[in-house]
Amino acid sequence: MEEKSPDAKQLDARKAVMRVVGRLKPIHLTIALILLVGLAMAVGNREFLSLYNINTILTFGAILLIAALGQMFAILIGGIDLSVGGTISLISVMFVFLVHSVGYWAYPLCLATGLAIGYLNGVILTRVKIPSFIATLGTGGIITSLAYLVSPRPIDAPPEDYGYFDIVNGSLLGIGNVFIFGLVTFILLLTFLRVTRTGRNIYYVGSNIKMAWMSGTDIVETRNVAFVLCGVCAALVGIVISGVRYGGDPVVGTSYILNSIAAVVVGGTALTGGVGGVVSVLFGTLFLSLLDNGMNVVGIDQYFQQAILGAMVIFGVAVTFDRSKTPIVK
Amino acid sequence: METTVFRAENVVLALEGVTRRFPGVTALNRVDLEIRKNEILGLVGENGAGKSVLTKIMIGIYPPDEGRVLLNGREVVLKGTSDASQKGIGAVFQDGSLIPNLSVTENLFLCHENGFLQFGTLSRRKMAAEARRLLAQMNIDIDVDLPVASLTPAAKQMVEVARVLWLSEKYGASNPIVILDEPTTVLNDSERDTLFDILKKLKSRTSIIFISHRLQEVLENCDRIVVLKDGQNVTDMPTKGVEISEVEKLMVGHEFSGDRFREVEQAAPRESVVFKVEQIGKVGAFEPLSFEVHEGEIVSLVGLVGSGKEQLCRCIAGLDKYDSGSVIVDGKAPLNGSSSSAVHNGVGHVPIERRVEGLALNLTVADNINYLVLDKLKRAGVISSRMEKEHAEKWVAECLVKTPSIKSACGGLSGGNQQKVILSKWLSSDVRLLILDHPTRGVDIGAKDEVYRLIRKFAKSGVAMIVMCDTLEEDIGLANRLLVMRDRRLIGELDASAGRKPSPQELIKLIV
Amino acid sequence: MKQVESIADASPVHKLGPGAAGEVAKRWFSRSGTVAQIISLAIVIAIFAVGTQGKNLSWANVQVVLSLAAIPAILAVGLHLTIVIGGIDLSIQGTVALCAVFVGLLSRSRFTTNDVGLWILPISIAIGTVCGLFTGILHTKLRIPSFIATLGISWVLYGVAVYINRAMIIGLLDHRIQNFINDKPLGIANVALVALVIAIIVQFFEDRTRAGRYLYAIGGDEALAHQLGVKVDRIKILAFAIAGCLYGLGAVLLVNRLGSATSRAGLNLLFPVITAIAVGGVALTGGIGGAKNALLGTLILTVLNNGMVLMAVNPYAQTAVNGVVLIVAVALTLDRKKLGFIK
Repeated sequence: MEEKSPDAKQLDARKAVMRVVGRLKPIHLTIALILLVGLAMAVGNREFLSLYNINTILTFGAILLIAALGQMFAILIGGIDLSVGGTISLISVMFVFLVHSVGYWAYPLCLATGLAIGYLNGVILTRVKIPSFIATLGTGGIITSLAYLVSPRPIDAPPEDYGYFDIVNGSLLGIGNVFIFGLVTFILLLTFLRVTRTGRNIYYVGSNIKMAWMSGTDIVETRNVAFVLCGVCAALVGIVISGVRYGGDPVVGTSYILNSIAAVVVGGTALTGGVGGVVSVLFGTLFLSLLDNGMNVVGIDQYFQQAILGAMVIFGVAVTFDRSKTPIVK
Repeated sequence: METTVFRAENVVLALEGVTRRFPGVTALNRVDLEIRKNEILGLVGENGAGKSVLTKIMIGIYPPDEGRVLLNGREVVLKGTSDASQKGIGAVFQDGSLIPNLSVTENLFLCHENGFLQFGTLSRRKMAAEARRLLAQMNIDIDVDLPVASLTPAAKQMVEVARVLWLSEKYGASNPIVILDEPTTVLNDSERDTLFDILKKLKSRTSIIFISHRLQEVLENCDRIVVLKDGQNVTDMPTKGVEISEVEKLMVGHEFSGDRFREVEQAAPRESVVFKVEQIGKVGAFEPLSFEVHEGEIVSLVGLVGSGKEQLCRCIAGLDKYDSGSVIVDGKAPLNGSSSSAVHNGVGHVPIERRVEGLALNLTVADNINYLVLDKLKRAGVISSRMEKEHAEKWVAECLVKTPSIKSACGGLSGGNQQKVILSKWLSSDVRLLILDHPTRGVDIGAKDEVYRLIRKFAKSGVAMIVMCDTLEEDIGLANRLLVMRDRRLIGELDASAGRKPSPQELIKLIV
Repeated sequence: MKQVESIADASPVHKLGPGAAGEVAKRWFSRSGTVAQIISLAIVIAIFAVGTQGKNLSWANVQVVLSLAAIPAILAVGLHLTIVIGGIDLSIQGTVALCAVFVGLLSRSRFTTNDVGLWILPISIAIGTVCGLFTGILHTKLRIPSFIATLGISWVLYGVAVYINRAMIIGLLDHRIQNFINDKPLGIANVALVALVIAIIVQFFEDRTRAGRYLYAIGGDEALAHQLGVKVDRIKILAFAIAGCLYGLGAVLLVNRLGSATSRAGLNLLFPVITAIAVGGVALTGGIGGAKNALLGTLILTVLNNGMVLMAVNPYAQTAVNGVVLIVAVALTLDRKKLGFIK
């Protein structure tokens, strides 16, 4: 409406560039990248298309998908969860001990722990009113230290307990159970977001929390639910990892912080909230999984891979961040 | 010939033929204005008359589309607020332009500290001394080391005035002009007296433009008064001997053609009372008051900014807590201060800032329209996308929302269409009382008419409404009844049935 | 001073403000002062004096505490600048890792013939500063929120660091810096004195230079500061650059104190440093704080951890305690009005 100051004009120009780049919706970019990377790998390395390799990609992908779907909820409502690493680590060691003492009850107990952690994160955000990135930084630290308290070192399950882990390790109709877990989680969460009121509320709250509040939505409950789901997904990841390795490790979760955020952001879900969804996260995860596998096959150092992921997150955020929501970027 | 020369010498700032347009509206239309040395000039006008646009042009936020600005006889092009302040023109707005955690001294000299440098670092002693000198010159005593956040609004205003004066001194502007935008709204009586005391003293070295809607104050304290109406300067006269009623008459009294507000469709409200507030009050915002609204009735809340009407609506909508009294909707009492309780009991709120508070801009039109009724669009316990689609399409058609598809993002719609989406959202739910906060602000003419049509239609179907409009004409035109608030009290009620509408002049007497 | 130098007559002097809120606000803003922190410090010392039966008050222990607190204090003084402007810097781990790796690469050791001797100090500082500059530019020009920009950069830098270093642990053979750190010519370990001097310099910068005051203006109201003419982007980049510079210094000192350079030097720094800053009274919302706050906060936290060690508290429980302290400290200092709806 008003004539713009030189700064605003510069911003407009920048926006126009971003719009061109951003019109290639991140999800299209991701699909293109998947095809590209897949093709490159297939051409470059004979083993890439082997059944074993594809199975590895799918297994890693399924586990990452569950973690990423959880993180997606935190990001959809406009926050972030930096404690997932701690939760995954804690559950992975807790599970080993619980299986030993209470058998199959370990499964629901670990999921319940994830729920409790998620709820704690939610409450710190909604009641104590601390921004999620610092709240989850804090809780993540606490939970990681709890993981160390439970077991300072990686721990293997005694062979007599192996039976309990086979829910994770078995297969159904030739497809690994891990993959099925991932698929089922995906479908459940997709349904939740599409057809339940609370699922829809997550989008409304993420898109415009003030409007949601003024329209009568319980924004406290909605945000708590989002973080609870994130915690439960992280717990599930911990269980699955534990099952696959027949043991736990107090540091196993750390890489999932970056990976889950990267999968969500690269797939096109904006950190500002209200945009994106399970399908975007699926593609983001697929891309990351391919990239991870490809980089390993090619021989890129694991830590350098981390650097590449970090750069991708920055790029992804730069493109998807909705700057009209916050004129000042802090 | 001589008078012209005399006048020219006496004029500090002159606007000649200044016109400024925005999409859809001409905010200022060939305005001529003079600000003379050593005077306090009062600037009055209704909301939307152009006062704030005029101020912004004077301080350089944007240039006029036509016409010119002359400072001390020479034409100038102001390239922004810094440029304007260096030329001696500054404004003090209601929100305040002070950084809360910095001290008075730091705020006074922010970004202009180069005179206080000692070996590249700031001399706090020199700055504090200079700050004290400035304030003492205005006969004010404020502790300059205090963070600004701890000052009263009165003190903050004075700090800002001091800043304007200092900048003009520093950059050698000979005739500073200080523009005060509604300074008295946040002051109590004694602070107001102090303010006018100070202004009268300042007159000897500054010109002051005093913008206010409190005509009594303006006539008592200003030397001259300028009345803006519909973007034009309709009068420019000394205040001596002028009656308030004269000014009022000049401020309002537009001829409005035809049935702008669809008065023919105005129906009498039904018998039953659907909404009631009893002795509802909020300390510091509004005194205990009571009123009722009937089914299908449109009640317009009129009053100046600061009369308490905005806070009253917020309390009714559950966005703020009230301190006493009760709210009753259809016999039920929603929880105090709970917006979800208010909504569940049938109170809706169409906010003034539709982009920020009314819509989820990146979600679709369908998402926004269906927001409140998703629970009803379920089949077998889950939301049915077919029912969503039908519901959205029905309301898009009913409210004439122009959108490429129900799946388009709301952010891409025009202001008018966005407003229609918000109205559809509320009207498709079981809202019993809908609060409309400036429903046609930022909406173009064609869409305004459609909004009025919708308002009339839903009033007929029984929805009760409380509206606050941009102009008195709109308030009068839409309402069945007018409630007048002034100085935080409900002071009167006027019947506004179709065919027996009061005139804006009658209304403004009560408001001001 | 009520001296009326008015041009006109002797008219009444009007006393204005502070309002009723004034006194409360004065106290609140004097959180930027350090009264509360000094009291907290005294309380914590007292609690552990009882708990450890006075062992924590022995001169030897005090030395240990000061020595331990020094390097985190330097890092905290750096990081707090990014918080004062209303952002945050999560890149400290990555930056320190990268600098540490370069120390390993360029100092005399079994693995390399490189030996830049004492030049490693300015080199590390330079690397840190460049990282900070880069981060600042990324945040301001690409308009990415600082928490994700710095988080992403941390991963990038850490990855690069490990890639260069290949997880080796490089023992340093040149002990000059290490000796300097631990020597006590003035009765207290040199490194503690260095930390004190740095805090004083940075505090002076914040109080007495224009750029320093602009940091606080931005933290107080960025949009308004911009409107009033503050070059916001430039000042923000400066804040990140100074932070990076101090991370570089801290990295060199850290590596030399440990005696070996490894990319893992950066681990487990973020948490305690941010906690220390929050405990010191620096508000996450910006505009409040100072180097003295960061310094005191670090001291309080170190005393707390030292006390727990003396009382043989499980080390992992200590981390948990730190986590709780972080959340509580942030909760107390946050200015919720600024944040509107918190996400």
